[in-house]
Amino acid sequence: MRTAVRLSLSSLRAHRRRFAGTFLAVFLGVAFLAGTLVMGDTLRASFDSMFGSATAGTDAVVRGADAVTTPGESQGVRAPVPTSLVTAVEAVPGVAAAAPDIQGAGQLVGRDGEPIGGQGPPTLAGNWITDPKLNPYRLAEGRAPARSGEVVVNRGAADKGGLGIGDTTTLRTPDPVRVTIVGLATFGGEDGMAQVTFTGLTRADAEKYLTARPGLAASIVVRAEPGVSGSQLVDRLTPVLPHGVEAITGRQAAQENTDMIASQFLTIFTTFLLVFSGVALLVATFSIHNTFAIVVAQRTRDNALLRALGASRRQVTAATLVEAGAVAVIASAAGLAGGIGIAAGLQALFPAIGFPFPEGDLVIGILSLTLPLAVGVLVCVGSALLPAVRAGRTAPLAALRETAVDTSGASRPRAVTGAGLLALALAMTLTGVLVSPSVWPAGVGAVLALAAFVVLGPVASGTAVRVLGAPLERLRGVTGGLARRNALRSPGRTAATASALMIGVAVVALFTVFGASLKATMDQTVSRSFAGDVAVSTPSFGAGGSGLSPKLAPAIAALPEVDTAVGLGRGVAEVDGAGRALTVTDPVALERTFDLGEVRGSLRDLGTDGLALTGQEADRRGLHLGDTARLTFTDGERRTFTVRAVYGRSELAGDYVVTRAAWAPHRTQDADTLVAVSFKDGVATSAGEAAVEKVAERYGNPEVQTRDEYAASSAGGIDMMLTLVYALLALAVLIALLGIANTLTLAVHERTRELGLLRAVGQTRSQLRAMVRWESVLVAAFGTAGGLVLGAFLGWVLVRASDGASDSSFAFAVPPAQLAVVALVGLAAGALAGLRPARRAARLDVLRAIATE
Amino acid sequence: MTTATATRTAARVVDAVKVYGVGDTAVRALDGVSVAFPAGRFTAIMGPSGSGKSTLMHCAAGLDTLTSGTAHIGDTELGTLDDRRLTLLRRDRVGFVFQAFNLVPTLTVEENIRLPLDLAGERGERERIDALIDVVGLRDRLRHRPSELSGGQQQRVAVARAFAGRPDVVFADEPTGNLDSRSGGEVLGLLARTVRETGRTVVMVTHDPVAAAHADEVVFLADGRLVDRMESPTADRVLDRMKAFEVPS
Repeated sequence: MRTAVRLSLSSLRAHRRRFAGTFLAVFLGVAFLAGTLVMGDTLRASFDSMFGSATAGTDAVVRGADAVTTPGESQGVRAPVPTSLVTAVEAVPGVAAAAPDIQGAGQLVGRDGEPIGGQGPPTLAGNWITDPKLNPYRLAEGRAPARSGEVVVNRGAADKGGLGIGDTTTLRTPDPVRVTIVGLATFGGEDGMAQVTFTGLTRADAEKYLTARPGLAASIVVRAEPGVSGSQLVDRLTPVLPHGVEAITGRQAAQENTDMIASQFLTIFTTFLLVFSGVALLVATFSIHNTFAIVVAQRTRDNALLRALGASRRQVTAATLVEAGAVAVIASAAGLAGGIGIAAGLQALFPAIGFPFPEGDLVIGILSLTLPLAVGVLVCVGSALLPAVRAGRTAPLAALRETAVDTSGASRPRAVTGAGLLALALAMTLTGVLVSPSVWPAGVGAVLALAAFVVLGPVASGTAVRVLGAPLERLRGVTGGLARRNALRSPGRTAATASALMIGVAVVALFTVFGASLKATMDQTVSRSFAGDVAVSTPSFGAGGSGLSPKLAPAIAALPEVDTAVGLGRGVAEVDGAGRALTVTDPVALERTFDLGEVRGSLRDLGTDGLALTGQEADRRGLHLGDTARLTFTDGERRTFTVRAVYGRSELAGDYVVTRAAWAPHRTQDADTLVAVSFKDGVATSAGEAAVEKVAERYGNPEVQTRDEYAASSAGGIDMMLTLVYALLALAVLIALLGIANTLTLAVHERTRELGLLRAVGQTRSQLRAMVRWESVLVAAFGTAGGLVLGAFLGWVLVRASDGASDSSFAFAVPPAQLAVVALVGLAAGALAGLRPARRAARLDVLRAIATE
Repeated sequence: MTTATATRTAARVVDAVKVYGVGDTAVRALDGVSVAFPAGRFTAIMGPSGSGKSTLMHCAAGLDTLTSGTAHIGDTELGTLDDRRLTLLRRDRVGFVFQAFNLVPTLTVEENIRLPLDLAGERGERERIDALIDVVGLRDRLRHRPSELSGGQQQRVAVARAFAGRPDVVFADEPTGNLDSRSGGEVLGLLARTVRETGRTVVMVTHDPVAAAHADEVVFLADGRLVDRMESPTADRVLDRMKAFEVPS
C-alpha cells in the first residue's frame, strides 16, 4: 500500500495538469452542494432567531382551534376569534396584557404607482399593537398610528416603494384605502421579515378593512406577568376560552411560524438547489470517469511495466484509486471552502438587492460539513473505480506492445444490453403514459431511458458523428475530415465525453419542453374556458398581493359597454371532512363568461344552500345531483348543501362553486382573484377595455388584460422559473464542457507525434487549431443531439404522465425556437471548450513532437 | 561525374552553426557547415552518432532554426520566414520521410498520400498521383488504413506522400531504420528510382552504409563539421570511410 501511495503521488505531481479538469468538476459540484446546505442552515437559523426575538414578548396566543387545510397548502385557514374575548383574557390572573391581532392582506402602492411586492412573499396588513412587547414589529422611526388613515410600514417595504414618513399612498385591502405613513418599523431587528411587507393600521381601521365584520381578530396575543411561564399561562387561559378556541404558548406559535416558512419556502428552495447540484455532480461523474479511463489507457505501458516488475494487481489498482482519492479530498475540501464562500457572498449580497438577511455568523451544520465532502470523495473515487480495476488488469506483456488501442465502444454485448434497456425504458414509460397513467412507472422508465442512452452512447457515436460530421468534411476539406475521424477514433471515449453534456442538455431540454407545455396548457385553458373579452386580475405569484375589490365586478357590470362582469373569489371549507377551495361567485354570470363544458342540473338557483361541482370531483366524492354534502366552514359552522349542478370543466372555475350569499356568513377578508368581463355585441375590445380600465383605476388600478394577455401573464411565472433553472443548469453544462476540454487535452497529448507529422508535412497552425476545435464541436454536437432527443422524450413523458395522473389536462408543446437555441448554445459551447486544447496543440514544437516517444 | 557541374541547388546551408543549451552545457551540434544539395540528385548524409547529421537535415528542411548561418530551399532563405510561411514552404516545396510514424492513422493510404495537396486545398493532379501510386506499387491498398500495412508498405506510402506535392527536395531521416533489409532495400530503391525517373532531389540521413550506397553522393559529418564527400559510393567504401572516424586522426 505504501508503494501504491508513493506511486500515485509521484504520478499526480508529474501530471498535475491532466487532473485540473477533474479537480474543477469535483470542486464546482461540491461547492454548489455545500453552498446550498450552508445557505439553508443559515437562513433557517436566522428565521429562528428573527421570530424568536420578534415574538419574545408574546407568552401565549389565543386562536381558533381548527384549521381548514386545502390540498397543496401547508398552512390552513383558522376561524377568527372575537375581539371581545380580550376582556375575558385580561381578567385571567397572571395576564399582564392582551391584544387582538387582526391580520389580512394589504398591498401598498409605491411612489411610482406600482404595487410593492406581491411576487412571492405575502403582503400583510394588520392592526398596530400598541403594547410594544406584544407587537413583533418595533417602531424604528416616527410614531404609532393614532387616527384613521395613519399607518406604520416596515422599513424594507417603504424603501422599496420609495416611501417615507409623511407620504400618502394607497393600501389595497383590496378596496383602495388612502393611508399616510407616520412611522417605520423593524422586525426582529431587521427591516422586515424577509421580503414580507407589513402595514400596521389602527385597530379600528384594521377591523374595518381587513375583516368581514368588526369584532373579529386572527388571534389574541397575551403577555404574562413576571414569574408566570408560557405553559402556566396557557393552563390558566384554557378554562375561560369558549369552544373552538385554543391557547398555545408564544414559543409554540413562533415555532409554527418558522416551521411554516421552513416547509413552504426554505425546503422548496433548498430541495430545488439540491436537485441541480445533483445534476451537476452526475455530469461531473461522467467527466471524471472519462478522465481516469483515458489516463489509465495512456498509462498502459507504465502499469504493465510495474506488473512485469512484480507489482500485484491490487497495488496497481490501489495506485490509481489513491490518486483519485487524493484529487477527491483536495478538490472536495476546496469545494467545501468554496461553498462556504458562496454562502458568505450571498449573505453579503442579499441585503444589497433588498432582501433583509439577518446579520450574524454563517451556520454550518455537521451535515453541510460532512455531506459535501463525502459526496465529493464518493463521486470522484467511485468514478475512478472501473478505470482503476482496468488498470490492475493490465497484462505485464502490454509493456512490450505498441500503445494500446482503445477498443471499448461498440461491442455487441453493449449494443444488446443498451437495446434491452431502451426497450424496457420505452415499455415502462409508454405504460406509464398511455396504458395506465401513473407517474411512477413513467419516472422509472425515464431513468432507464437515461441509462440506455448512456450505455448506447458508444454504439451510436460512430454513426452519429459520421452523420453530424458529413457536412464538415465537405465544407472544411481535409481539416474537417481529420476532425471527424479523430472524433470517430475512440467511440467509447467520444461517447463518454459527450454523455456528460448529453445529460446537461437533456435536463435543459426537459425543462424547456415542460415549460413550453405548461404555457401551452395555460393558453389552452384560457382559450377553452374563458369566454369573456377582458380579464381584470392582480398578477401575483405565490402568497403576495391582496386580490381585487369585490366591489369592482359590480362597478364594471354597470358600464354601458359591458354585458357581464363576474368576479371570482376564493373560499375554503371542509366538504364531508376534506378541505377544499371554493369558488365564490355569481354562478349565472359565471356560466356566461366561462365555458364550463356540459352542465347537468342548473347553476341558476344554487341559493344559500346549493353548490355546483365538477364531474370529476363528483365522481371522486361519490356525489350526485340532488345529494347533500356537509360543509364545515372556518368559523366552525356546519351547513348542509345540496348538489344542484355538475359541470364539465374545472379550469379557472375550480372544483366547487357556491354563491356569494352562501359564503357571506363565513367570509373573512373579501377579495376576488379575477374579474371576467364580456362586452355587449358591437362593442370594440379596445373601447371596452378603455372603459373597464377607467373603473379599475378607482379600485387600486389592477391590470386589465385581453384574453391573450391574460393567458400570457398567467404563464409569466413559468418564464421566471425557467430562467432560474437555466442559470442553475449552466453549472452542469460548464462541468460537461470542462470534461470535453480535458478529454481533448489528453487526446492532443496522446497524438503529439501525429500532430507533429501533420505540421511537418504542411498543416498550418490555424488548420491544426481548426481541426481540434471542430473535433470538440463534433463531440458537443453528438452530446447535444442526444440530449435534445432524450430531453424532449422525457419532457413528453412528464407532460403526458402528469396529464394522465391529474384532473387538469396538460398540453404538450415542443418549442422549436428555444430548442434550436439550446442546440446552438451546445455547439458554441463545444467550440469554446476546444479553444484551449487547440491553442495548446498549435503551440507544439514540430521537431519535439516528431521526436516524442 | 567527379566534378560538380553548375547544376541548380535544391537546398543548401551556409556557415551553419547550431548550439543547444547555454553556458557550460552548450553543445555545438553544427559547427560551421556549408553544404549544397544539387537538384536532381540523391545525397546521403552520414556520420557517427552525435555528428550533427539529423540537426543538419532538420535545419536545412526548416524544421529547426540555425543559431547562425543561413539555410536555403531553392532561392528562399528560411531564416526570414515566419512560422506560417515556413509551414507553407514545407507543404509546397519540401517532402518528408521519417524513420517511423509517417502516416496519419485515421486516414487511408490514398488520403495520406494526398495529405499535403489536401492541406493546400489543391484539387486535380489525379493522373500524377495515380502514376505515383503505381510507382510505389500500392494500388490494391489504397483504401486501407496504415495499421493494416506492413512497416515497409507504410514507408512506401510515406515516400509517395513525400513526392506527391512535387517538392523541390525530399528529406528522409533514417527511412529504413525500422525495417528489415529486404523492405529497406525496396524503399531505398524506390527513392533512388524516383530521383532518376522524375528528376526530384532527395537528401537522406542514415548511419547504414548499405543505405548510403543507394545515393549518388555521400557527405560525411563528424563533430558538427563537414569532413568528406564521396561520389558514387558503395557500401564497402562507405564502411571503410566510417571506420576511419573511429580512430582519432
